[in-house]
Amino acid sequence: MKLVETHLNRRTVLKGGAAALATLSAPAVLRAAEPAPIKVGILQPVTGALAQDGEYGRLGAELAIEDINKAGGIKSLGGAKLQMVFGDARSTPEAGTQEVERMQEEGVVAIVGGFASPICLAASQAASRYDLPYLVDVGVSDQITGRGLKNTFRFAPGFSICTAAAIQNLVRINEAAGKPAKTVALVHEDGLFGTGLAKLMATELPKYGFEILEQIAVPTPSRDLSNVTLRLRSLNPDLIIPSTYYGETVLLARTMQQQRVRPKAVYSVLNGAASNRRFVAEFPEAAEGVMDCNHWYDPRNERSKAVQARVEAVGKPYNYNIPLNYSSVALLADALERAGAADRGKVIEALNTSTFKDHLMPYGETKFVNGQNMGAAPVSTQVQKGQIKVVYPTDFSDAKPIFPANR
Amino acid sequence: MKLNNYIPIILVTAALALVPLVFSSNALANFMAMALIITLAAQGWNILGGVAGQTSFGHAFFFGIGCYTAAMLQFHFGINAWVAFILALVAGAGAGFILGFLSFRAGLRGSYFALITLAFAELMRILANASEWTGGAAGLLLKLKPGLANMQFESRASFLWLALAFVFVGLVISRAIAGSRFGAQLVAVRENEDAARALGVDVLAVKLKAISLSGAMTAAAGVLYVQNFLYIDANIGFGVWISIEALLAPLVGGRGLVLGPLIGTVTLHGLGELTKSFAGRTPGIDLMVFAVVLIGVVAFASGGVLGLLRRFAPGLARRIAA
Repeated sequence: MKLVETHLNRRTVLKGGAAALATLSAPAVLRAAEPAPIKVGILQPVTGALAQDGEYGRLGAELAIEDINKAGGIKSLGGAKLQMVFGDARSTPEAGTQEVERMQEEGVVAIVGGFASPICLAASQAASRYDLPYLVDVGVSDQITGRGLKNTFRFAPGFSICTAAAIQNLVRINEAAGKPAKTVALVHEDGLFGTGLAKLMATELPKYGFEILEQIAVPTPSRDLSNVTLRLRSLNPDLIIPSTYYGETVLLARTMQQQRVRPKAVYSVLNGAASNRRFVAEFPEAAEGVMDCNHWYDPRNERSKAVQARVEAVGKPYNYNIPLNYSSVALLADALERAGAADRGKVIEALNTSTFKDHLMPYGETKFVNGQNMGAAPVSTQVQKGQIKVVYPTDFSDAKPIFPANR
Repeated sequence: MKLNNYIPIILVTAALALVPLVFSSNALANFMAMALIITLAAQGWNILGGVAGQTSFGHAFFFGIGCYTAAMLQFHFGINAWVAFILALVAGAGAGFILGFLSFRAGLRGSYFALITLAFAELMRILANASEWTGGAAGLLLKLKPGLANMQFESRASFLWLALAFVFVGLVISRAIAGSRFGAQLVAVRENEDAARALGVDVLAVKLKAISLSGAMTAAAGVLYVQNFLYIDANIGFGVWISIEALLAPLVGGRGLVLGPLIGTVTLHGLGELTKSFAGRTPGIDLMVFAVVLIGVVAFASGGVLGLLRRFAPGLARRIAA
């Protein structure tokens, strides 16, 4: 099913340019009928290592643009329609930057997307040369909004917000269940992401009465985690906290299943696998009960349900990239509406004063401080009977946590 | 040293320098700047791999050392970008010397040398990814402070000219080597190492000079990368991508020839940009078109673009290849 014809090739750009010129040179009376479309840059890595995530991101943005245009476009601009200018970031920061330059030349009013932190860092910086508003969809690096770039906004939570929330959620879930979990083993990948997270957990968790039994570093990629699992078996912790990427998390969960290592819970943070529908679909038994603190949509939100149904109708899983991009585009449309002009400076101003609520995420009102949406928060999810359910915070949950997961 | 030999280089550089004056497109300027950074890395490869025949599969080692030296000196010590650049060149040359000393003294040649370079690059990638000093997996981010003193530029065109100046210096050095005794020694080592030694060439010294020079040039490309994007992580600096880029460009353009890397990069990346217009709704179709063209080049024009010119327009080829 074709959703929207949006991708521009050189010829259509030329044609578009010629058409735009013709429109501009036409007398004002003729122009009044249909306001010129507003070009919005959508940047996603749809080829290379991150292609799958990029495709989800693009789908989310496309659906949002389709909905906004169906609902009458940007009303304060006479019902101007949004027009997507798509750019393939090819999973590298250089290609992302090159696409930003191209979008700038095509006259976009803002750019949404990027997905990975390195792409977001490079692309938002390239956009800042032109005061071009840049909305980061996913990239969690704290550096993205910590640089003082006036054009860069992130609707989703960053790394420090996510980790703080992860610890709080865990403590509350544990307390509500009568504190069954006391001992913890940390399994982390040996890069900065995993090491940093493990270090943070090792200093924070003892404050809440947890005992850290061991921190086990694993390299990325790992082909075999039998020894790690044997170690976990002899440590017998109540809680295992893996901060590893997709492959290693899947491997760990499967090896634990084979060796019958059954901790009271597996609680991961910003994990590549634990809230990925592919993992749940391919290894339902290994995934059962695994918890994650990550980006996730609001499962009670009716609009989110409607979007989910459309996504699933085209045979795609409703992963978090889709609602995040959908919401980011909607946020931009809201800013355009209030700015009343397709003017970059005014859009940045409107984003800075945004109180946008009409999104698909379990966030409150949008409020940007230094480009970071302070209303954003991750949620804790758990795989229950092959479904990924939100279990905390209770305001957004669609299931109760099964904690401990194994008795 | 005859000025005549340098005319093609000067003409090509001048033509490239005029591009931003004729077309005001920043997208074009940015594309060219990136292509020139790759060209510089490929020029470094070409001296060692093309002229001296020591095929490296790990020039990311030098590229990354250039990137990280420049970035870390600025980030941790606040050293001026130009000073950091000079030190990065020294680091690149030093890294080349060490790698060369370890592998050439042990007599590693051909695929064994290629494997060692790859191993060194991978080793550095893992170290850079794990160490806090290099910012680990989160990488290092330099502050945006446009200004000539910081080697950062407001306009894309200025950066393009800087990169072009580097490439020009690289071309001049390559051309000077091609016409020198040192160049003849390098070719002798490439063609037959034992024969070269029998004729009194100090093979180890010649190879060490070549790899040091090669390392410094590719490190310079790394510095340019950092100054352009102001961000570096382990996969960018020491990832396989740049090793392949640095190796592919001279192969496509004409291995061992002065203008080979430049022609190769412009051909490859120009094709890459052009094929993007085929992309449409299917992601990756442009890359497939690119791959088909690349296979064609390797299969039917093993001498690269310059080799093709030699066959079909020998006069022109003689003039550019000089």
